[in-house]
Order: sequence, then C-alpha cells, then structure tokens
Amino acid sequence: MSSDLAFALRGVSTTVGSNFALRDVSFQLPTGYVMGLIGANGAGKTTTIRCLLGMRPVETGEIELLGHRVPGPVSLRQDVGVVLDHTYLVGDWRLAEVERTLRPFYDRWDGARYRQLLDEFGLDLRAKVKDLSRGMAVKLTITVALSHHARLLVLDEPTSGLDPVTRDELSGIIGDFLIDEGHSVLFSTHITSDLDHIGDYLTLIHDGRIVRTGTKDEILEAYRVVRGGPDDLTESAGAHLIGVRRTSTAAQALVRTEEAGLLGGDVLVEAPTLEEIAVHVGAGSRSRRGAGRHQPEPSLSTGEIK
Amino acid sequence: MTAIARMALLDLRTVAPYRRQGLVLLGLVVLLFANKSAVALVPALVLLVTSQIAAYPFLVADKAGLETLYAVLPLPRRSVLYGHYAWATASFLGTAAVGTALAVVLARVEAVPFGEHTLVTVLAVSWALFAVNVAIQFPLFIRFGYSRISVVGTTVPLAAVTLAVVRLHLTMTSIETWVPLLWPAGVAALVISATVAMTADHRRVR
Repeated sequence: MSSDLAFALRGVSTTVGSNFALRDVSFQLPTGYVMGLIGANGAGKTTTIRCLLGMRPVETGEIELLGHRVPGPVSLRQDVGVVLDHTYLVGDWRLAEVERTLRPFYDRWDGARYRQLLDEFGLDLRAKVKDLSRGMAVKLTITVALSHHARLLVLDEPTSGLDPVTRDELSGIIGDFLIDEGHSVLFSTHITSDLDHIGDYLTLIHDGRIVRTGTKDEILEAYRVVRGGPDDLTESAGAHLIGVRRTSTAAQALVRTEEAGLLGGDVLVEAPTLEEIAVHVGAGSRSRRGAGRHQPEPSLSTGEIK
Repeated sequence: MTAIARMALLDLRTVAPYRRQGLVLLGLVVLLFANKSAVALVPALVLLVTSQIAAYPFLVADKAGLETLYAVLPLPRRSVLYGHYAWATASFLGTAAVGTALAVVLARVEAVPFGEHTLVTVLAVSWALFAVNVAIQFPLFIRFGYSRISVVGTTVPLAAVTLAVVRLHLTMTSIETWVPLLWPAGVAALVISATVAMTADHRRVR
C-alpha cells in the first residue's frame, strides 16, 4: 500500500439492486490535494463513496484508504471525516449533546476546537440539530469532522441546496483544512463551480463508470466544445461527439481535443468550462431517460481513463 | 470503556431527549397497577416500559439515519449490534430495580404478602418476558429496520408469550417450578438472538 496516496480505487465493481452497477472504477488521490468527483444525479458518486468508506462491499477490485486496504481496521475511521448531504445525528440533540455523544468514540477529540468552530460558524451550543438550516447542518458535520482531527474529508454533495454565500464559506473551510499538507479532500458534487477554485484533481463519473480522471488542468485540456449548424456536427469526419445537443438552428457537442481538428472549418472550437464538460458527459443518461434532445455519447469506456 | 459499552451509552443518549415520554409511560403503568396487584407491577413494567425503551433507539435510528453514524464512527459493526443488546439489558435492570422498589412499597401499603420468594419468581418471570421480547424483536429490527417491522416485532413476542402460557398451563404457582431455568434460558435466548442478528445484518460488510 502506498503511503503517499490519500486513497485509491482499483478496478472496483459492485451491483446496486437490479438497475445500477459501478463497473471497473479506478482513480486515486495523492495526499494533500482536493479531488472533485463530478457526475449527474444517479451517476454513482454516492455508491463510490460508500465503497471507499467500507460501507458497501465490492465484488471485484481493491480499495486503499490512508495506506490501508478497505475494509481496514476500525481505527481507520478516526482519520476520516464524513460530510453527507443530510445529517446523521438525532434531531433532538442539542449541539452540546452532539459533542458529549461523539467524544467517547474518538481518541483525538478536541472539545475546545469543537466549541471554537461552532462559534466561528455562528452555531449555538444550545440549538437542536433539527432546527439548523441546511447550511448550518453541513457546517455542524464539518465541525465534527475537524474536531476529531480527520486527515481525509469525504464530502458527498455537501453544497446541494446551499446558497452561494454558504458555498463560498465552505470553500474557505476546505482551504483552511488543506493548510496541513497531510490533509486531503474528496468532494462529490454536480455543481461544478464548487471546484473552480479548490479542485486539484477531477474525476468524471457517468452511469457507474469513470469517464476520465486527472488534474483539473488535464481534464480541461482533454476536451473541446464544438459548435456549428445542425448539419456541421457529424461523426463522419471521425470525431467522437460526446453529448450532442441539437436545435433547429444549431448544434453543440464535446470532443476530445485531439479530434477537434477532424471537424470542418465551419465548426467553432472552444475551451470548455467544467460545467460544459459535466453537462455533455452526463447528457447520455438524461437522453436515455427521455427528458431531452441530447444524443448520448456512443461509448464512454475505461479507455478514456488515464 | 469498551466499544460495546460506548455503543450502549450512545443508545442511552439517543433516547435521552425523549425521557419525558418514558417517565409518563412509567407513571401510567404504575397508576394502572397501583390498585390492582403489587406482584404484577414488575412484569407489567418490563412488558410495557422496558420493551419500549429497549427498542426506542431503533425507532430514532430509522428517523435520524443513525445507521450512517454507526458506519462512520470508529466502532466495529458487531459492537453496534451487541451494544443494542447491552442497552436493552441495562434498561431491563433499571426498570426491574425501579419496579421492585415500587412493588415492595405498594405491597406494604396494601398489606399484601410480598416476600423474598415471590420477588425471586416475579423477577425471573420478568427477565424471561424481557428476553423473549428482545430475542425476537432485535434480529427483525436489525434485518428490516424498525419502521418496516414494528407491528410484527411487537405482536410476535406477545403471541409467543401467550402461546407459552396457554400451552404450558402456566400460573404463578406452576411457574415457580420453572424459575431456576428462566434466568439461564433468558441469557441463552439473548445470546442466540445476537448471533442470529449478526448473521441477518444486511449492513455487515464482509
């Protein structure tokens, strides 16, 4: 096991019910960085995180977390802070009771830090969990994670439903957490703007498969947005069009950068934003559900993985 | 503190915000039996109060998503399950202690004979009732979740006890011959139940 990796998934597959499966999922994060896990709703982000945390068994592949194979020793959870899109605390607990309840489980619990962070976040020790707003609840779970001195923060859709100010605050909190070089963050989201400033590495997941993983710059450089008339964008030139969107007057798609030149001169080629990449890569699943006029990408296989 | 004790303490903290409801239930049962039978107070408390208190963490866990908390905390899964049993046993001991004290006082007030012999029988019967209840309920709660199985989880133990009373023609007098067996039988039922619960636990990651 490599000690310079915060985590690594290698060839992980698991089946969820009869309709969904993670297939051959592989990606890794070096210690000290933030990875954004990007995918549409239902792409497999939460399942991937549950596998990483040992909450869900895997059928094939192996998972490494902070130098241990998963499922690892229970003590490994001392080093992992988990923030989900919902609280997993008793609604009638007051924040002081949250601390009294969780403290016995963590060897490095820091009560002073807990109270200091609550104070910084404007959370009252006497408040009940159920009375917190969505943003406050996220701050509470981050406070818990930071109070037991986690080395890896795993955040699953922490910003969905949050206002821009709170999302910005969250970016600041993560930035502070990363001042320690031994700290790492996995941040799953479908709101790509969350990762504009803090994402070092990105992994695109679609329909249970990893489409691409690498540094943010590598991902942005790997694709181009192409725009043209309805008849300008065809695959006859040899370019693989990803998530084509057509209207009666225009068409837009994503292509791999090396294939952009294969399209004709009438096509406008531009560098994509993270959001454009996420939208086009995720377009296939929506198209299959019949909700739009997207054309699914023909095959997003593991061949795309670096 | 062991992991099982920490889990039992977590169950205590889980139900702590609802202690008023528990005290109201306790008061109602005491009021109900105060004029009836001091002897029946302890098993009545165990059946009506302990069964609620012991199962309450499952109800709250379902509502609050505590299974995720259990998975995040540095706590082996088996300690989570055994901790529930430890909490239930502790709640039995607490209720039995309170019930016994109240029963003795009531018996004095009512001038009803309630000697050491009766007390031993009543406590053994209460323990058996508690053990049957928990032994049946907990694996079901752990396998299916409280919300999905609460009705079955309540009626099956009651049916089992009723069936035993009818089939074995049990009375307070006849049951005295069973008393030496009730304590170890209760322990055995809980041990078997905990083993079944471990096997049935669908959240276990092998």
